[in-house]
Parts: sequence; C-alpha cells; structure tokens
Amino acid sequence: MPANSLDFNTALRRLCLLWMSALIFVSTLSAEDWPNYLGPRHDGIAAETNWLDRWPDAGPTVAWRAEVGVGFSAVTVAKGRLFALGHRDGREQVQCFDAITGKSIWKQDYAAELGAKFYEGGPGSTPTVDQDRVYVLSRWGDVLCLDVAQGKIHWQRQLAREEEARVPGWGLNGSPLIHGQLVILNIGAAGWALDKTTGKTVWKSADGEAGYSTPLPITWRGQPHVVVSSDSAYSAVDARTGTAAWSIRWLTRYGVNAASAIVRGDEVFISSGYSKGAGLFRIREGEPVEVWRQRQFRNQFSSAVYLDGRLYGFDGDSDSRAKLKCVDWKTGEAAWEHELGFGSLTAAAGKLIVLTAGGQLLVAPASPKSFQPIARAKVLEGRCWTAPVLANGRIYCRNAAGDLVCLDVRAGR
Amino acid sequence: MNPNRRRFLNTTAALGAAAWAGTPLWGAPPAGKFRTALIGCGWWGMNILRDALAAGRSKVVALCDVHAHALEVSAEEVNDLSGDQPKKYRDYREMLAKEKPEIVIIATPDHWHALPAIAAVAAGAHVFVEKPTSHTVQESRAMLNAATAAGRVVQVGLHRRIGPHHREAMEFLRSGKVGKIGMVRLFVAGRGGTETPAANAKPPLGMDWDAWCGPAPLRPFNPRMHPGGWRNYLDYANGTLGDWGVHWLDQVMWWTEEKYPKRIFSTGGRPVSGAVVANEKEATTDAPDTQVAVFEFESFTATWEHRRYADNPTERHGVGAYFYGTQGVLHIGWRDGWTFYPTDKNAPQAHGNPRFDNEKDGHNNPPLWRDFIDAIDHKRRPAADIELAHRSSVLPMLGMLSYKLGRSIQWDGAKEQIIGDAAANALLRRDYRAPWQYPKI
Repeated sequence: MPANSLDFNTALRRLCLLWMSALIFVSTLSAEDWPNYLGPRHDGIAAETNWLDRWPDAGPTVAWRAEVGVGFSAVTVAKGRLFALGHRDGREQVQCFDAITGKSIWKQDYAAELGAKFYEGGPGSTPTVDQDRVYVLSRWGDVLCLDVAQGKIHWQRQLAREEEARVPGWGLNGSPLIHGQLVILNIGAAGWALDKTTGKTVWKSADGEAGYSTPLPITWRGQPHVVVSSDSAYSAVDARTGTAAWSIRWLTRYGVNAASAIVRGDEVFISSGYSKGAGLFRIREGEPVEVWRQRQFRNQFSSAVYLDGRLYGFDGDSDSRAKLKCVDWKTGEAAWEHELGFGSLTAAAGKLIVLTAGGQLLVAPASPKSFQPIARAKVLEGRCWTAPVLANGRIYCRNAAGDLVCLDVRAGR
Repeated sequence: MNPNRRRFLNTTAALGAAAWAGTPLWGAPPAGKFRTALIGCGWWGMNILRDALAAGRSKVVALCDVHAHALEVSAEEVNDLSGDQPKKYRDYREMLAKEKPEIVIIATPDHWHALPAIAAVAAGAHVFVEKPTSHTVQESRAMLNAATAAGRVVQVGLHRRIGPHHREAMEFLRSGKVGKIGMVRLFVAGRGGTETPAANAKPPLGMDWDAWCGPAPLRPFNPRMHPGGWRNYLDYANGTLGDWGVHWLDQVMWWTEEKYPKRIFSTGGRPVSGAVVANEKEATTDAPDTQVAVFEFESFTATWEHRRYADNPTERHGVGAYFYGTQGVLHIGWRDGWTFYPTDKNAPQAHGNPRFDNEKDGHNNPPLWRDFIDAIDHKRRPAADIELAHRSSVLPMLGMLSYKLGRSIQWDGAKEQIIGDAAANALLRRDYRAPWQYPKI
C-alpha cells in the first residue's frame, strides 16, 4: 500500500502500535528472557518484579492460545520468540511462535513414538536456546540443533541408534544444558556431552539408567561441574570432561529421579516421589554427608524452589492427595502444608506462581507462615503437570494435551 | 446365622486336625514376629509389606526380585521403616532354603505365582499371594493342593472380601431385601483408543529379563510390559478380566452358595486398540479391549463386560457389580461404595460409603493382612482362603479360555474338567519353558 493512501484507521493503528511498543520497552526494563528449563539461573525463579499479581475475577487477560502437541515440555522464551515441543501424529514437533502475539513463525519435526505409558506420553524435555541456536532432546535420544531464525537443522543426532544410548522407561526427559562449547544431556549413568557446533560426542558417562532431571550447572571447588541424576544417584561430574566428583546414592522406585537438585554452597537438596522423600547433604571432601532426610517431601518431577531459607514444592505423586508444602532448608521440617492436590510452581518477586494439575493458576506470597493466595484463575482444562513460565510480563501455561495459553500480566499498562 | 457363615465354620472344622497336626512353626511364639519374606518387590508387593510392618508381627528377613534396582530400593525402604535389614535374593529357591521364612508374600506377575507359592508352603511357610491365584487353572489347583497338604494358611489378596462397604453390601444382600436374585452384572470401563506398537528395547540395567519371564514364553523386552503393564500380555496374565474381573467375580462367589458355574462363554477382541503386533522390533499389548463373559450357574447368570475405551458416562457407576433381584438392584462399587435401588420407586434407597484403609490406592489390604496373621495364630482359615480364592480365580481363567477358543465350555467344577472338549481341556494348563516344570496335580 503506497504511503499516500493511508487512511485514518491505518494511521490510528500505527499510532497504537507505536504506543504499545513504548509500553513494551518500559515493561521490559524489569523483564527477562527464560531461555531454558527452570530459567536463566536454573532455579525456577524469574527476576521479574513488575507484573500483575492481582487479577480481576475473570482472570488475567489471555493474550493468545496455541496448540503445541502432547507432552510435558515447558516453554522457553528468548528475544521475543517462544519455543515449544510436543507430540503430534507420530512425530515430535518443535514450534517457534512470536512470544507476544502467538503468531507461528516456524515448525520443525522428526519421527518419534508417543510413549504413552500410564499417561499421555510425548516429550518431557524443554528446548534450550543459546544465542542463535535452539537445542532439542527427544524422548528417544534424538538431539537436534536448530536455527532460531527459521528452524533449519544445523545438525541432528540419534544417540540411541548411533551410540547405543540407553533410554530409560519413560524416555529421556531432562532438557539440554548449554555449557560453554558443550550440550550436556542427562543420558547414561551421569551425563553425556556433545559439541554444540558439530553435535559430536565429547564425553559420555558409563552405561546406566538415566534419571529424568535436567543437568544442573554448579561450581565445585572452583571448577565448573554439572549435577545429573540416574535411577540410583545424583552425581556431580566435571562439566568439561565428565570426570566424577561426588555422588549421592539416591534410590527411587522405577528410577524416577526427576526433580532438579538445589545446590547452595556445599549443601545439596534432592527429592523424589514414589514414597522416596527428600534429603539435604553436605559435600565434604567429595563425600556426601547426610544433614537430614525425610519421607514426607516427595517432589515427583517438578522441582521445588528455594526462597529465603525455605523450599516450596509439591509433595506426592501425581494425584489429588498431593500437597503443596513449605519445608525448612536447614532441618527438613515442614512449616506448612496446603491441600491443593498435585501441581507445579515457579517463583518471582517473592511470590509463588502455582499451576495445579487441574489448571488453576494461583499467586501467593512465599511465606513460611502460610499459603494465602492473592490471585487465582482457571486458565486451562485437562491435566497440567508442567510448571508455568513467567517471561517479559507474560505467564505461559500448558497442559498435557498441548493447549498453551499466554496470559498478559504486565503491570502499568 | 446366615448359611454362608455356617458353611465357613463347617469348612473350617473339616480342615480339621489332620492339616494342622504336622509341621510346627519355626519357633515363633504366638505374639512374636514372623520371619517374613517378599517375592516381587514392586508397587503392590511393597504395599503389602508396608501393611505387614505396620501390623507389627513381621520381621522382614528377605526380599526377592529379578530386578536389582527394585530390590535395592525396597531394602532401603524396609530399613527406613523398621530397622530390619533384609537379605536380597534374585532366586526364590535360594531364599527359601537359606532364610526359612515363616511367612512369604508373593506379589509377582500371575505367571510367577504358582511355583514360588507351592515351594513356600512346602518349605513350611504361610503364604500371602496376590490375586488372581495363578495364570492357568491347574496351577491354581496345584497351589490349593500344596497348601492343604502342607497345612499352611494361604491368603489371597482379594481385599474386597474384607472391605467394610463390601461386607455391609453382602449383609444387605443376605438380608433378603434385594429379593430373589436371578442375574449379576459385573463391569469396568476405561478410557483408551487405538494402540500403536512400541519399540522393543533393552531390559533395564540390572533386570534379569529371562528370569522375569521364567516359566512363561521368553519375549523381547518392551517398555510397556514393565512396570505393571504385563497385565495386558496374555503370556503373563489374563488382561482386564483376570486383573479386575477376579475381584468382582469373587463378590459373586462370596454371595452364592454354588461353587462353580456349569457353562462359560466369552467373546470380544481388540476392535479399538487394533491388531496385535509382536515381532522382534516392536509390540502392542495382546489382551482384549472389549470383552463379554457369561457364567451360567444353576440358579442365576453372571456376566462380565469390559471396555478399555469410552468410559461409562451413561451410567451412574463406573465399575462394580449389579445384583438384580425381585426387589431391586444392589450395586457394589469401589470409591462409590454400595447402593441399593429399590424397584418400588417409593421405597427408600440404601447406601454405604467406602472406608478404605489406604485412601490413595483405595483398598482394604491392612485388615486382610491382620486377618491372615489372626488365621495363623488361631489355626483357622483366612477370609480370602486359597480354596475360596481358587474358585473365584479360575472363573476369569475359564473366561479367557473360552475367549481364546472361540466357543462355550461346559464346566464340571467337581472334577475341574471341561466336558467333551479335549482342545479346551488342554488349555487348563500349558507347557512351561525349560527348565521350569508345570506343577503336578
């Protein structure tokens, strides 16, 4: 359309857009991206402060909705783009959307079995964004490096076929961790690393049943390490070489060590479901010493968050008898528990953002005194086992069937 | 006294001194702790063992499983719960020989019930074995014979025989308020759809898959089979009829005076899940997603039906048993308790809520365990005694037999033979995979 034919409506629309962009600019001052599972600091806590934590009765504004396929992957958000992974008709599909408008930008897929084993199935890992690349791990050992711009495949591996990577009972569910030049995956007894440019294997641990957690980067004795779970341990290995540093024996029924460890100083918190419970260990001279251990805080797969000396997370396996609990880091004692059924959470600005398994989204101050929601809304139907994501003033929630909803919670609009 | 109660006392008396005379217990004082072992350390086995520990009469001396990881996890939990330090075994024969347990819990898949149960009672242990008693009819008979010969208590995990709402419903049935009952309908429905095959895979590290298959055919490991999925593979279990059906058929056998049906027919298939796939690369399950079974008794007819799709949205109850009498319909269910719907619309309904000992899994296993211990202490038959459980457990097996055969069978329950059908009789047993031998009866 030639410039001189601008009619009044178009002019108005342009003005609106300009005004909206200004707002976006203002709000992004306190906002940040969420380029990987559990966010930029790997702790499930967003740095955002300027977001609406009180909603009208009708709930927060729904900015957009999309279908992302069956699965339990969280979304990632980077530079205005959102990445999602789900299963559809015998394929796992990576989708890229405009994070603000929900407009589809590209799709990429590969053949994959659904793997519906006592649940809906589909992928459980989350795409990881690193600069202009996005890395994806399938349930079955496919690893893809895609171009952020168009979803073009830079390299693709199938580690189960090519290098006999062992796929655990519910598939590979840990998300890729980008560490320097490496893509570190939870495969084998204690991780597996590929070169992020070429996809070639750089190191791999012994054959073993992998756990389902995402490799967690830590510093141990001044050196970069990652904590990786297997069916029977949480182990730290040197991020660059895979050399074992320490290992906490942690046997869980069905090998489901799925929640991420939480590491503070020389203390390591781990937790699993299936009646296993939680423990805090102090690593001394490479030997884990138990500080406390209890069987009443069982994080089945969604990780707890640590805030101000307390852990907040869901205790119990995926059913209505699960509870939200606040547990003291030092003692392992519960400060409170709240009958909420199963769910998952993330945190920002000292508040918990909780998504129940039934699709209720709640906001409550993270307090050791009690759980007092200040906002709530039913945002999804169906089964919600994936923690919500807050990025750039939007909360993204998904269910198992693949309904994704973007809620606009920017403050001061 | 109701007739069933009288019969129970009679059979208890009939069991008599002979069965109890021999084999003394291994020095366990009446109120002491029994040396207890668990074979099959999965979800349900550990549920039973936790109940055993909670009852305070068990010291866990041994755990046995063919999957090292399950063994380790369970041993650690037992130690946390009780301080006991059970020895770990892969082979139940070695375990029985070395540990000489007084109680053995068996919570393996169906195909692995008979051999350890027979060996355990022969070694002098009392046995708590999961339902159904076995995979084929003559295994179950051999278990009953072995228990009788050894004079041991064998309780079968039919916890619905002891659950409070089941007992209430049974009392109501026997009060005559339902009138004369001519028909019983048993059912369950699930939500499912087309099944695509899953790729076979390496068995989990540390799992002895050959031993897991044991006397049954050795198939390639498929992730859907384990944990728990074996219920839908007919080499190892009897599908939904075997798994769920046995609970509800057992309610029928608990109620009726009759000991067996005279004719059985079953039909069904996999119209929704699709054709069975089982090759070197991939596999589906092979149990029917749709099944109807008719059990014709002398004085009534019982039917079973299940669907693994569509659920049951047109009915008030999703699972259970309807007893149809001249005065109305009595439903016995699960989480919905029991309800009587009178034929006369002006008559009052009656209802009882369930009272589970374990809310999470919705069962009454703890009182079944306490009953087992009490039966050992008092040398009496337990609530879900092997003889009663045998009669209930063979019904799904016979249903599956008819389903596989594609024709109805005439059952001589006294001789436990199918009348005039050699091909059908051949299916009352199967050849075991070497070196295992099918138990003799």
